[in-house]
Amino acid sequence: MRVRKTFLMQATIALFAVGLLVGWGAPLYTAERSAEQIYKDLAKLSESERAKRLEEGARKEGKLNFVHTWRGKIARDFVVAFEKRYPSIKVEMSDLGSQDAAERFIAEERTGRHLTDMLSLAIPDLAVVLRQNLVARYPTPATKKILKQYRGFIDADNRWTPWYWSEHGISYNTDLVSAAQAPKDWFDLCKPTFKGQVSFDPSETRFLAGLYVMMGEEKTKQWLKCIGENQPIVQTGHTQRLELMLTGDHAVQGDNYLYQGIEAQRKNPKVPYKIVYTAPILAFAGSMVINKNTQNPYAAALLTDWSLSDDGQKLVADVLRGPITIKHPYLPDNIKLVTYNIVSEDVTNRLHEAWSQYIGRMK
Amino acid sequence: MPASVLRWGAGSRRSLSGGGVAFICLLVILIYQVLLPFLLIIWTSLKVDHPGDPGFLQLSFTLANYIRAYGIREFWDASLNTLYFALIATLFSFLGGTFLAWVVARTNTPLGHWVGMITMGRVIIPGVIITISWVLLASPSIGVLNYFIAAVSGVRRFLNIYSFWGMVWVQSLEMVPLAYLLMSAALQSVDPRLEEASAIAGAGAWSTFYRVSLPIILPATAAAALLLFIQTVESFEVPLLLGGRARIPVYTTEVYFNTARTPTDWGLASTYSMVLLALSMGLLFFHFRLVRHSERYQTITGKDYKPRRIDLGRWKYVTCALSLVLVFLVTGLPFLVMLYASLLFRFQPPTLEALREITLVNYRSLLADWSYSLKPLWNSTLLGIGSASVVMLLVAGISYFVQKSRIRGRKILDFLGFAPIALPSVVLGTAFLWFYLLVPLPVIGSLSIIGLAYVTRYMPYALRFVSTSMMQIHSELEEAAAVAGGTWWKNLYRIYLPLLRPGLMAGWFWVMVHAYRELTISLMLARSRNRTAAVIIYDLWSNGSFSQLSAFGIIMFMLLIVLGSVVQKISKRFGIREQVS
Repeated sequence: MRVRKTFLMQATIALFAVGLLVGWGAPLYTAERSAEQIYKDLAKLSESERAKRLEEGARKEGKLNFVHTWRGKIARDFVVAFEKRYPSIKVEMSDLGSQDAAERFIAEERTGRHLTDMLSLAIPDLAVVLRQNLVARYPTPATKKILKQYRGFIDADNRWTPWYWSEHGISYNTDLVSAAQAPKDWFDLCKPTFKGQVSFDPSETRFLAGLYVMMGEEKTKQWLKCIGENQPIVQTGHTQRLELMLTGDHAVQGDNYLYQGIEAQRKNPKVPYKIVYTAPILAFAGSMVINKNTQNPYAAALLTDWSLSDDGQKLVADVLRGPITIKHPYLPDNIKLVTYNIVSEDVTNRLHEAWSQYIGRMK
Repeated sequence: MPASVLRWGAGSRRSLSGGGVAFICLLVILIYQVLLPFLLIIWTSLKVDHPGDPGFLQLSFTLANYIRAYGIREFWDASLNTLYFALIATLFSFLGGTFLAWVVARTNTPLGHWVGMITMGRVIIPGVIITISWVLLASPSIGVLNYFIAAVSGVRRFLNIYSFWGMVWVQSLEMVPLAYLLMSAALQSVDPRLEEASAIAGAGAWSTFYRVSLPIILPATAAAALLLFIQTVESFEVPLLLGGRARIPVYTTEVYFNTARTPTDWGLASTYSMVLLALSMGLLFFHFRLVRHSERYQTITGKDYKPRRIDLGRWKYVTCALSLVLVFLVTGLPFLVMLYASLLFRFQPPTLEALREITLVNYRSLLADWSYSLKPLWNSTLLGIGSASVVMLLVAGISYFVQKSRIRGRKILDFLGFAPIALPSVVLGTAFLWFYLLVPLPVIGSLSIIGLAYVTRYMPYALRFVSTSMMQIHSELEEAAAVAGGTWWKNLYRIYLPLLRPGLMAGWFWVMVHAYRELTISLMLARSRNRTAAVIIYDLWSNGSFSQLSAFGIIMFMLLIVLGSVVQKISKRFGIREQVS
């Protein structure tokens, strides 16, 4: 009986170990030619020939694993519109936050599992992915259409392709703040009038990077200091924070996406919301990034190009994000726009420290 | 001596094919589900390299993460806050939950059945909705309750939910149903003859309750306190949404902010989870010490056992009123806020103007979109039922071996079953993600990977539900069955499972509902085809509106009520009936 017990135990352990070893030793998926090589070859072709080759290749691949950092319906509408244009390609889409998407992508690649063909990531969140050298360089003529004021989003090394932009700006509840009292500039948020009335999310690299590009390091630190002295509300969640402000919980969004209030106002004009256009608006782009080890390089390239097509850009405008080849859906032309891409890690680390020192994520 | 001990000890052929095989199977499952992710986490905590890096698998270790994590003052300040927060919230929720459990399970209080149902209804409402509901009720600026208080008394900003006591209040109410579930399962298993004996000896109802019933349910009390405390330490929504604004850091928010940068510092995150592991193991050890004489708590014997209720006389109306107030606070008020918000385009205080804007547009948009909202609900239903059933099966087996056998190594089962309580969801989700990335079984992107993670996540809670009930079943029942020739499997199925029904049902329901609500693991492991209801909740929370989120919460609430009722009906066909006297 002892023999039998031992055998059972040993057999179980052996089976388990074999399972693990088989798993570990499983062949990794590899493409026949590297994505970058394919893109280099494509770049040598004429525009029409290139487009033809791209579509043919994508049709043969027939699928694409795409991680979108837009969420919910608008992300699905984006994919549906692409699939409608290219019905032979089936897109498997996951929608994740930009940082989560980068995190998961890195995890997959580090373990040799090439499960994601491409991602849409905010450029300020790209630094970590670029450091890992996981991105395919993709030169595309589609970027020619990008308007002058947004050309700063383009990467000279073609590691990403910008296709829309997002904004950080100041807005306020018009029931609580009159137009005359409203802040006119970023430093106005330090005024005693707004003590305990201005809300922020906890420190975010993308926001701090924008402040740095707008004001420089020292002035940014001064601004953080005076904001800290004005007892800001620090609360996680952009959407909920805006909703709380619109409900009357507090008066001003010291930093938030501006489109959400406009979206609410379009559905219900009574929503007490106004954007401060006199203060510069911080603008960073969302970009298409192709996995160096993509299994579907043609389909990935095709979606990247399509995102900058008229259809793609119209869709961006329809959901109140910032298109980069056509006019913005609600922001006036004369706003002061501060565009930026990646700010060095040293600088953002120092600014995060300054945030902790003056505003503190919690005390 | 329990029959299983006799058979295992004798080493008979039958014992190996029954209890022995089951024991080995359980051990293997637990090693796979718990030990491997745990080893991965402990290993990661001792490395500065990330999984997948060349140095990650090398046998060189460092304590750098531990020095970084625990070498800063903020960590210890947050830990102290956590201790106060957890102790007070545990006490309040335990008192509330136990009172409701006693009213429902052991007294003839009118509407007791409804009180129980409504209390359990609270579990269904996602924590994030509850927390935001309380913001809308008791925020100094926009709180509806403050609005009424100001109208009546002229005192403005009377309540402030953004405070330590606001956190305690919401967290305590959040955990009342868990305390209720744990305690009602135990109270239903109290042998009424002991109470009768006390009454015959001249003790009153209250005296009997304090001197006879309460000591009997000591294991359940210890288990409830243990789980409530750990759950509060692990709680995230309340500290983030209320404590963040009140600037009261606790352990989870400290971990969140220290590891929130991309790429996440998994070494640091794993190191933080070691504290929870140590805490959980310390508490579990204390729990075992407390209930080490398990034979003292065996109240369900072979002699005509039927639980029954105490007649409270006129006091039953007082208990009815008190319990109704409590369930109104626990479930009713936030539910009403959720219902009200779901009928608005955007949330606003309840005025005539707001009522004129009532609309069903949020429901229409959600119900019209199968792939967005209904498919994840279906996925969650499958995951909830599946993972709850698997978890209950596993913990029934674990409890049996731990409580009713003397097999060497049985405590390992309890340890492995309970250890995952130490793992914050984000760490567990990541461990599963890394594990299945490293071991390419075809589960990524499927419901299976989420289900497997849920099994590990909820086993500790379910284990305590069932352990306390198992402890109350006297071994003489199994011994009698063994003498009559019953096999191990037959005894388990015919004797233990029916008697365990209150604990099993409570645990099953708790796991199912929490599997519905679970967010962090689902987010880590979700892809296009395996999105769960909680992922949609997060989506609506971060990108939609509170009104849409509330509408989804109401749909989910209704679905789970139906599901819970069906299961309740089915389960009534098994187990034992209670009598009211």
